[in-house]
Amino acid sequence: MNITRRLIGGVFAAALASISFSQVTFAGTAQQLGAESVIETIKKRGVIKIGLDLFVPWSMRDTNGDLVGFEPDVGRKLAADMGVEVEFIPTKWAGIIPALVAGKFDVIISGMTVTPQRNLTVNFSEPYAFSGLTILANTAMTEGMTLEDYNSEDITFTCRRGATPCVFIQNKFPKAELLMFDEDGASTQEVLNGNAHATMASEPGPSQDARRNPETLNVPFDQAFDAGGEGFAMRKSDPDALAYFNSWIRRHNHTGWLKTTHNYWFRGDAWHDQVE
Amino acid sequence: MQKIIKKLHWLDFLVLGCVIAFFYYVLTQMSGNLNYNWRWDKIPNYIFKYHTGREEWFANVLLQGLIVTIRVSIYASILALVLGVILGVARCSHNLIVRMLARTYLEFLRNIPPLVVIFIFYFFLAEQLIQAMNIESWSYKVAKLENNQIWEFFCGDMRRFPSLVSGVIVLALFESAFVGEIVRAGIQSIDRGQREAARSIGMTQFQEMRYIVLPQAMRKIMPPMANQFITLIKDSSIISLISVQELTYKTQELVSSTHMIFEAWLTTAMFYFVICFGLSLLFGKLERDKR
Repeated sequence: MNITRRLIGGVFAAALASISFSQVTFAGTAQQLGAESVIETIKKRGVIKIGLDLFVPWSMRDTNGDLVGFEPDVGRKLAADMGVEVEFIPTKWAGIIPALVAGKFDVIISGMTVTPQRNLTVNFSEPYAFSGLTILANTAMTEGMTLEDYNSEDITFTCRRGATPCVFIQNKFPKAELLMFDEDGASTQEVLNGNAHATMASEPGPSQDARRNPETLNVPFDQAFDAGGEGFAMRKSDPDALAYFNSWIRRHNHTGWLKTTHNYWFRGDAWHDQVE
Repeated sequence: MQKIIKKLHWLDFLVLGCVIAFFYYVLTQMSGNLNYNWRWDKIPNYIFKYHTGREEWFANVLLQGLIVTIRVSIYASILALVLGVILGVARCSHNLIVRMLARTYLEFLRNIPPLVVIFIFYFFLAEQLIQAMNIESWSYKVAKLENNQIWEFFCGDMRRFPSLVSGVIVLALFESAFVGEIVRAGIQSIDRGQREAARSIGMTQFQEMRYIVLPQAMRKIMPPMANQFITLIKDSSIISLISVQELTYKTQELVSSTHMIFEAWLTTAMFYFVICFGLSLLFGKLERDKR
């Protein structure tokens, strides 16, 4: 009696599991089959949803709590050109690609460096910005060191989890120890405290931190590394979206709008009092 | 004050002195090793501020986050209570399969770290539910309505509604396991004789639960339930991982933008503390009044 009951229970549970699983796969194929371009979805909805995470000065909260920065400018311009409203969806960097794939937003415009690994999961537009990584070092701890000296067991690097600097440091300085943090503030703080020798991030972040703490921090090398270029990231199998975003970027490279805007946020300091 | 001092033994003063000395030591060590530029004066602006563009007072990022946290906590605890009662009753069911399913759910949740549970529920359950019920396009429609103040009051920005829903669902499912255990303990604490008496006067199983067992059990489970509610508020910080814009997430945004790591996190900690401690005092008082 007891055994048959248990058996029935097992069969019941198995059936339940298989139903829920088949539904998951069904939703996946339905998405593929309805391969409607995201551009059409945006037009129909009247809103473009842009996923981003906060990196100074790509995008940040100003003192009014509003999003400002290079990416919000790009996003607003893109939306204006498409004749739709814009909605920014702040998303954790480590989960931003899964969120795009799951359809939480239409495109990632968040200073995402084009890398072959990421390209396996999502499509990238042509680069709309080029920003290289630089090293931000604790001056006292790294005095007189050459670039080769950084590749040693005695050196500790910090970086932001899931971001390009982490991969770059692992390749360029394989012997060094690497600590990963959830945001840039913490990884810089570790260098400030002397718990790590250096961190890497895309300019102008490091230069700005060095200016803010001139006694402790500096950017020891002029050289910028890994300037691969940043692109919009979108879901795969959507040639229309790829074509549209590429044309948009090409057009605004011609008009010079992208360059002017990039210079405003990355070369100048005019926006600084808006943010702090 | 005088009374309190008189009550204290000299050993109490020694202990107190040691504690103060310890914190003083930590503080001096910290200021030596910590190369940090404190900017506490900026924090109040991120709670409440006069908007320079819109010319009005508004709740800035931290307060916005706090409001979302409170909203999510209230909805999630209501849902967790409902699910938990069902689960608790199922755990005491006469039917073996029901009992086994409830037990499986519970053990699954109790023995997997919350972080993993949150991700599993988010991607496999909440997301599917939101897609199946078309919640997204519905909430966009509501967001465009003129008269949506009621919706905005209860749900915040309607465009963020899907993320609120998934946050509530995920948190409620996670907490329901613990609520369920509290309910089960409450039900099982009712004397067997009570249930037998109910059955002997001809009550059905449902009536027995509804009129005899649950009313008595509810009284017993109120204190641990209140405690669980406070835990839920603290646990709500986990859903920042799925980018629900609550207090913890907003704090991370603030830190990313301004690099005020310690000020922002300490302020957030204070918010959580004030709410949770306030509630625990309130529940304590309610309980004492009842007796």
